[in-house]
Order: sequence, then structure tokens, then C-alpha cells
Amino acid sequence: MNKHILIVDDEAEIRDLLAQYLGSAGFRTTTAATPAEAFAVVHRDPPHLVISDLQLEESDGLAMLEKIRVLLPGVPLVLLTGVLFDQEVVDRTLSQKISCYIEKTAPLSRVLSEVRRLTSAP
Amino acid sequence: MTAEPAPGAVDRTIRRVAVFFLLVAAVIVAVAVVAVRNISGARAASDEVNRTHALILELDGIKLGFQSTEGSLRAFAGSGAAGDLRSAREALSELAEHVEVARALARPEAPLLAGVERLAALAGQRAEVARALISARQEGQAAVMATFLGSEEWLGASPAVKIEVGKLMEGLMGQLAARDTAQYLQAQTTRWTVWAGVVLNLLILAGVVWLIRDDHAARIRAARVLEEANRGLEDKVVARTADLAAANTTLQTENLERRWAAQALEHQLRYNQFIVDSISDLVFVLTKSRRISRVNPATIHATGWEPAEIVNRPLSDVVTLTGAAAGADPVPRALAEGHDLRDLPALLQDKHGHCHPVQCTVFPLRDGNKVVGGIVIARLTPDPKVSP
Repeated sequence: MNKHILIVDDEAEIRDLLAQYLGSAGFRTTTAATPAEAFAVVHRDPPHLVISDLQLEESDGLAMLEKIRVLLPGVPLVLLTGVLFDQEVVDRTLSQKISCYIEKTAPLSRVLSEVRRLTSAP
Repeated sequence: MTAEPAPGAVDRTIRRVAVFFLLVAAVIVAVAVVAVRNISGARAASDEVNRTHALILELDGIKLGFQSTEGSLRAFAGSGAAGDLRSAREALSELAEHVEVARALARPEAPLLAGVERLAALAGQRAEVARALISARQEGQAAVMATFLGSEEWLGASPAVKIEVGKLMEGLMGQLAARDTAQYLQAQTTRWTVWAGVVLNLLILAGVVWLIRDDHAARIRAARVLEEANRGLEDKVVARTADLAAANTTLQTENLERRWAAQALEHQLRYNQFIVDSISDLVFVLTKSRRISRVNPATIHATGWEPAEIVNRPLSDVVTLTGAAAGADPVPRALAEGHDLRDLPALLQDKHGHCHPVQCTVFPLRDGNKVVGGIVIARLTPDPKVSP
């Protein structure tokens, strides 16, 4: 059975690109533009991994991920953002809240390799 | 899958079968011609045999006719009775009839006809002697009758007829024997011709069967070859399709990567623009020659200049340093040496010629280790407007 990936981003193009890329790699994807939509998906069809943008229109992606962690403990959470953090900030702060941090300037292949690593997918 | 043989192969096979059937037809016609000719020959031979038999009977009739006329004339010569005379005349008439029939039957063959003519001459002499004898008897001339009955024509006729008839009979019997042999040989020839035709046709038909079987085998071989070729082609198509699918997947992946990189760049640019635009202080981006290359919305708002009006102007048109820095402009040196200038008092001149006191900070704009321009951040101070 294909692993289910939830993609949360307020930009439709990013959601579509990620969904297409991960879908062609064999993952089942669901997209959400807002935290409310994301929580609906979490309740309806719990994902094996969540990828979220940091800055969402209605909320902070990091805060949303913290709530999802409570609902789905053990599910890997990936923060994908155009905001560039120092590695020190990532190590000290973000690593406690998320499983992985990926800059939006990173290639999609990097996103895929991280998703495969975190979901133990081949 | 059904394989069709090459059109040339089909034509060749049809041509060969047609040739074989033409041969069969030719053999049948040849056998029929020979058989009909032999049947006609046999019928002709049969007619000849009948004619020969008839001639033999007539020759026998002539021989008996001479004996009969001799007997009946002698009886008439002795008795002179009318009954004997009638018998003699009937015998002469029958003899003449036999001679005429024999002559007609012998006409096709000259040697036979010559023999029959010799018999006819003897018959004619017999008739003349008979007439003279009958006349002498009726006139009662016994001496004349004795002369005729003792004459060479009378006495020698029967032996001569026997000899002539014997010769003719011998020749006719020889002809019959020869015709029997010829008929036997003709029948044998017909039999051999018919059986040879049958055997030849059977051989030709066997050849046709062999040809059809060979053609069928060739078609099966061709079908197998075609099937194998098709299988190979299908494998190649599958492999090629897989290659194309893989190439397509790679292309799609690369396309997604390019779109992703483009959107990331655009996002980054937009984000940087947000940062700059969100600053409430006035931001001037300078070229190395201190001309304005970019400003933020706060600058547009404070000066009243449109971006197109302010860009490419010298910074000194808009910002004038005051205080200690007014005399010698420290900005060129700072940019050249790559160090900051902080909190310099200055005046900002707007589009309408009004001046506003500001505090400026100058940063060199670096691209790696190289200074490519400068950034001036001006903060409006609350002092009232000052005219230049």
C-alpha cells in the first residue's frame, strides 16, 4: 500500500508540484491550503508523513505541525520554507518540533529522498 | 496469428499446378486420340475381314458353280429334258452372279481383281460352250455335242478354276492371318496406350500432391518465421516503449524540478522584496558611482517621486549630508574602502523642493569580497521642514 503524504502550503503551485513529484515516485498525496483543511485530512485519512510550509495565510505552519504531532505522535513532520534559518537555529529550536527542515530552494529530489528516509519507503 | 505467403510464391505455385493440369489434360487427349484412331482402324480392319470372308465364299461359289454347270449341262446333253435345261441355265446364272459379286469384292485390290478376272474369263468360256452345247442338243447334233464335251475349254476349265481359286484363297487366307496379327497388335497398342496414360496421369497427380504438400510446408515455415519476427518486433516495441516511458518519466521529473526551482527563485525574490518593502525607513540602493538604482515604497511615499523619476539620479540630488560631513563627502571613501557610516545628519529633498532632516546610515553593498555599490538607510527626524 502506498504511503500517504499530506502536503500543506498556501501556494497552489507548490502544492501541485510536490503532489505530482511525490505521486510519480509512488506516494499517495493529499493537499491542503489551510490548517483547517489539513486537520480535516488528519482526522479523515491519517497520513504517514506531513510536509508543511512555515508561513501559511491563516496560521503559522510550525504551530500547526505541533498540533498534528499531538494528534499523530510518531508521524514524521517536514517543514518546507523559503525562510532561511541558520543551522544553529535549526539544531536548537526546530529539531525539537519537526523531523526535518528543507529549504524551498532545495531540489525536489532532496525532498523525495527525505520523504523516503522518513517513511522508510523504497 | 495467420501468416500470408509472399504473393510471388502463390503465383509460382498456381503456375506449377496449372502446368501439371495442362500435362494431365494433354495426356488424356493424346490417349483419347490414339484410342479413337485404333478403334477406327479396328473397324476398318473388321470391314476388310468381312469383305475377305465374303470373297472367299464367292470364290467357293464360283468353284461350285463350275461343277454345277458341268453336271447340269452333261445331264441336259444326255437327256435333253427341259428340267435339266432349266437347271443348267440356273447354274450358269448363279455362276455369273458369283463372278460379278467376286469382281466387286476384289475391286479394291488389283492382284485379287486380276485373279477374279481370270475366273470371269473362264466363266465366260463356260457360258459360250454351254450356249453352243444347248443349241447343238436342241438341234440334235450329237457329234457337235461330243466335240464340245471333249474340247479343251470344257475339260480344262474345272482344273484351271480349282487352281486359280486355290491361289486366290491362299492369298486371302494370308491376308486374314496378317489382319488378325495387325488387329491383335492394334488392340495391344490401345491397351498399352490407355494404361500408360493412366500411369502417367497418376504420376502427374502425385507430382501435384507433392507440390501442394511442399507449398503447404513452405507456408507453414513462412508463418513460423513471420511469427518469430513479429515476436521479436513485439519485444523490441515493448523494450522501446519501456525506454520511452522511462525517458518520459525522467523528462517529467526534470520538468518538475525546473518548475520547482523557478518557483523557489520567484518565491525567494518575492520574499526579499517583501522584506525591503516592509521597512519603514527610506532605503536607497546605490551603484558604485552613487546613483540610485532602487528605492523602497517608504522612499516613494516620503519624497513624492515616482520610481522612474528617482532611479538613476545621483544620491546627492535627493540626500545632502549636513554637519561635519557636509564639507568632504565621506560616502565615496566609505564605499571604496568597504566600511559603514552610521547616523550621519542629512537633508532629504522631496519632489516639491521641501527638505526634511534625516539621519543616514551607509552600508557597502558586497558581492562576495567585492563592493558593487551601497545601501543608504535614511530615518526621518521629527524636526520641522527646512527650505534648501
